Amino acid sequence: MISMLNDAERNRYSRQIRLFGEEGQEKLKRSSVFIAGAGGLGSIVSMYMAAAGFGKICIADCDSVELSNLNRQVLHRTNDIGRHKADSALDTLRSINPEISIETMVETINEESIDQLLQGCDLIMDAMDNFPTRYLLNRAAMSRKIPLFHGAISGLQGQATTIIPGKTACLRCIFPRAPPDAAFPALGSTCGVIGSIQVTEAVKYILGLGELLQNRLLLWDGLNACLDEVACKPNPGCPDCAEQAGKMINGQ
Amino acid sequence: MKVTLPDGKIKEIELDEIRIEEILRTLNINPVEVIVAKNGRIAPEDETAGYADELKIVRVVHGG
Repeated sequence: MISMLNDAERNRYSRQIRLFGEEGQEKLKRSSVFIAGAGGLGSIVSMYMAAAGFGKICIADCDSVELSNLNRQVLHRTNDIGRHKADSALDTLRSINPEISIETMVETINEESIDQLLQGCDLIMDAMDNFPTRYLLNRAAMSRKIPLFHGAISGLQGQATTIIPGKTACLRCIFPRAPPDAAFPALGSTCGVIGSIQVTEAVKYILGLGELLQNRLLLWDGLNACLDEVACKPNPGCPDCAEQAGKMINGQ
Repeated sequence: MKVTLPDGKIKEIELDEIRIEEILRTLNINPVEVIVAKNGRIAPEDETAGYADELKIVRVVHGG
């Protein structure tokens, strides 16, 4: 069989090919991912996904780079202040890996735009900063039956879980109500911890490796250097996933 | 009942079997800001907990 990888790619990904072979690397190359947000989490998620060789990366963010973003949003540089984050992200990701396809969109993620934004995507990376948009991503993941890799941070704390429609608790099962939408403190390295976990999960999902963070909410407490987890299960009365789960059981 | 608070501190409280939402009220914790795990598993607020149970109250973070 002819390899999908050229010589430069074989060299670029040689340390990963040691891990999961050329076949695994080709699977990543065939994967198309949507990253919701180019902020703190979106920076880590997109840079590591680009470096790892996910074949197509789409990112949507409607904001522009501000000075106060730069303590954590490592996609963007001081001379990017005032530019759309989507444009700045494109430059950084292209410079990290010119072998992959990158599409960045200056777009608000909402009911009107979500269908277009998710077109052709195999997985959704949650790098948002609010729960209402996360619930929208959750419902979109349920209706398309594609996984959602959740992450969120505040200060030195973070949480992550992997949501597989029809198989695991969805975001709404775990968090039935949105927490208050207050301004949050943020340390870049907390985004580093949680974003890295999200990317690791996405790689494992695509390659079928190890145990996913499914039906488990991982909790990072940086203040006490504590990593913990709590178990969760689908809520049979969940307004976002119960109907989809029922359809799957009935073979629809 | 052993309760782990959102800041990681552990508190022993003595309450009869009551709903988790009552426990949150007793501890003066806004239920909108947290999820509660009972014996390691996330439990809805209308579930009850008693002497032998361990609760972990987790503050939900929403930033990105």
